[in-house]
Parts: sequence; C-alpha cells; structure tokens
Amino acid sequence: MRFPIRVLNRRLYHPNALEYQGKLNLLPLTYGSDSLQYKVLDHSLKTHVPSYGFSERALVASINDLGLGSSVLSALGASNSPSLFNSSPAVLELVKFHLVTKRSALTSSLDPTRTPEVPQQLPTLETLFQQRLELNKPVAPHLSQLLSMLSIPGEFLVKTALPELHSLSDDMVYFSQAHDSHDFAWYSKRAAISCAFVSSELFMAQDKSHNFNDTFEFAAEKLHNVTKLGQYYTNTEEYMWYTLLMSINLAKSQLARG
Amino acid sequence: MLHKSFAKHSCRSFSVLKKLKNLEKSPSSKVSHTHDQFKPLSEAQVAYLDRAIRVDQAGELGANYIYAGQYFVLANKHPHLKPVLQHMWDQEIHHHNTFNDLQIKRRVRPSLLTPLWKLGAFVIGSGTAIISPEAAMACTEAVETVIGGHYNDQLRCLNNQYEMDKIDGTKGQSLEIQNLVSTIKQFRDEELEHLDTAVEYDSHKAVPYIVLTEAIKAICRSAVWTAERI
Repeated sequence: MRFPIRVLNRRLYHPNALEYQGKLNLLPLTYGSDSLQYKVLDHSLKTHVPSYGFSERALVASINDLGLGSSVLSALGASNSPSLFNSSPAVLELVKFHLVTKRSALTSSLDPTRTPEVPQQLPTLETLFQQRLELNKPVAPHLSQLLSMLSIPGEFLVKTALPELHSLSDDMVYFSQAHDSHDFAWYSKRAAISCAFVSSELFMAQDKSHNFNDTFEFAAEKLHNVTKLGQYYTNTEEYMWYTLLMSINLAKSQLARG
Repeated sequence: MLHKSFAKHSCRSFSVLKKLKNLEKSPSSKVSHTHDQFKPLSEAQVAYLDRAIRVDQAGELGANYIYAGQYFVLANKHPHLKPVLQHMWDQEIHHHNTFNDLQIKRRVRPSLLTPLWKLGAFVIGSGTAIISPEAAMACTEAVETVIGGHYNDQLRCLNNQYEMDKIDGTKGQSLEIQNLVSTIKQFRDEELEHLDTAVEYDSHKAVPYIVLTEAIKAICRSAVWTAERI
C-alpha cells in the first residue's frame, strides 16, 4: 500500500516561492548541479551519448575524460536498485538524468522559483510540447533504445518513467496558457498529453525526414486531436445536462397541466 | 570628504523614491532577498496541505451540488425558501471557486472521484428535498455539522503544526498559511450560519429525523475520508 502512494505523492502542494526557501530543483534527483554525479552525467549526456547511446560506454568515456576513478561508475547508480531485465543502475541513472534535466530546462525560464523575471505571457501548450521534442534531437538516433529501457515493466517504470512522464505533462499544462480543470478532466487532460508525447517520441525514433519535420507535424496533429477530443467531451456533457434539466422541466409542466 | 557626505546625502534624499521603485517589481526583489524567508516545509506538512486543499475542494463541490439539487426541487414548490436557498447556494459557489483557484495555483490534484461526488451530492440534495422541505433542511444540518467539525480539525492542525523557522532564526507563520487559516475560518463561520438557518427552518421536524441526519453524517464522514486519499 505504501509504494503506490509514494509514487502518486511525488507531485504535491507547491508552497509559494517568495516566502519559502527553495528546495532542490532537480527532484527526484537527489543531487544539485555542483555535485560530482551531475558533472559526470551532464558531460556524458552532452558529449558521448549522441555517439554511444545510453550505455555504459558513454559513462566510462566521460569518467575517463574527467580523469576520475572507475569506481564512480558504481557510485552513480546508487539510487537505483539493480534489475534483472533492465540495464545497469548507472545507465538507468543516466536515463533518469536525461528525463529530469530536460524537463527542468523546459520550464526554467518560466518558473518564478528559478528566474526573477517571469515573462508576462506564458507560451502555448503546443510551443512547450515542440520545445521538449526539440530537446530530444541530440539523442534522436538512440530514442528507440531509450524508450525500450523506459517501458520495460519493473521498478524503474513505476518509480521513475511514469512519474516523470506525468510530471512533464503536468508542467506543460501548468506553465502554458492551457486552461486547467478542477475535476476529472484534470486527469484525462494529463493522460492525453502524456499519450501524445509518447507517441510523438516513438514517431521521432523512426523519423528520417530532414530536421525531424515529420515528427513536429505529427506532434501538432496529435495535440490538436487531444484538444478537439476535450472540446467534444465538454460539449457532450453540457448538452446532456441541458437535456436532462429540459426533460425534467417538460415532465413537470405536463404534470401541472394535468 | 565633502564629496562623500554629499553623495551619501543625495542617496538618502532619493531613498523615499527608491522604495516606490522596489514596490513596482516586488516579486523579483523578494526572490533575491533570502534572509527573511522561511525554511522549506517538511514532507509531512506539504502532504497535509495537499490533502487539506483536495478534501476542501471536494467538500465545497459537494455542498454546491447539494444546494443545486435542493434548489432545483424546492425553488418553485416552496417560494418562501427560494431566497434562503439562493443565499446559501451563492456562498457555497464562492467557497467552491476559492478552493478551485487554490487547487490550480498550488498545483494540487483534484479528487479522482469528482464525478461521483457531483452525482452523489446532487442525488442527496434533490432526494431529501423530494421527501419534504424539512428533510432537506435536516440534510443541510447534517452536512454542515460534519463540514464545520472538519474545518475546525484543520484549523487546529494548521495553527499547531505550521510555526515555521525563518532563516534568520526567528519563528512565525507564513502569510500563505495565515491566508489559508483566515479563509477556512470565514468559511467555517458561514457553514455554521447555514446550520443555524437550517434549524430555523424546521430541520428538527423532518420525519425520520435521527435516521436522516445520522445517515447523511455517516456518508459525509466516509466521503471526507475518501476524498483526502483518492
């Protein structure tokens, strides 16, 4: 019982940024941007992942470049438990690092806890969605490898991959002009955006077009469908409610006439 | 020397205007200004606020729909109740909107069972109103009793557990918590006012009075328990 609740609670009440000292920006990563882990993973993601992919070779190359001992490799994966079917804990940490830093880079200029000057006008949902896909470009040749690691059933999927996906769609809704809901639509909207994002990533993994033009077209289409579906739902609900009240009133008036 | 003091003086003479300048962009100046900030809330404190906002939002949603149901049935049948119900309903709508705003602003997820709360509340409201106007008032009485008690529990917790340490060593309650406390206090008073109104309009004369009120209280308590968690 404890486990799923903790996963759900990853995103909780956000106290205002003016009165409270900020916490770590990169949660669920437990280290800040001046730590050794950050340096190694960042270096690896920028320099070696584009050529080697998300593998131990990329990590080892970065560790050698930075002149560190090879024991760092085992220290990197300390927060992930080893799993039989997935990659080694250090590689999983690299994947997690990719997800978290890209998500935080997406909103760092919009978040009042991280920048003093927040723009007056928030970007649209489409812009954020496309920007996040843009950030995938350097690792695009290795996207299918990344997605397969993320989707292997197991602890990593439940504790990292899905919560990160949810946090991403939550951020995209919160930091955009998109209208947010107070009821069940809150969930369906996020779920729909997550689905659109995963399918766009899958498309990107296979995309051979120049500068990933097809992917962006596909993503725009997907997102458009999401908003359209939302409108269909709202309109249907409104119409049903109207019809219900109308028919009750009609019955009442007929009864009154006798 | 003279130059220095002059410079100092000129600086002072402008300090009045400087404040105005700071006011204009207060959010940005406060971000860099860290020494009077509070230390971050603990995980348990954040989790409590999260479920408090969620359950209050769901509760006000329920109250809103209960009054909608009552109004729908009673407004034309018993015109003398119309302004009373309208007044209470308007207040509930205001409460509901307030918590909706808080939910979005503080990024709290709404209760997963909102469709059920909507339907259930409307059925309870209209169902009791169909029995009799007194039964509707008994329903109001039961609901507001539970809500008032629940708000009081929350106030107790917010006042006891949210004395935060500041970075410069002093203690205090943040404005955010103070605002939440005053909002809840005001809403609790209004809910208890509704309770009095319901008693005034003969809630005690409802026919299966004990059965009705106790059943609705039990439903409300279990709904509160569920909405906090799911």
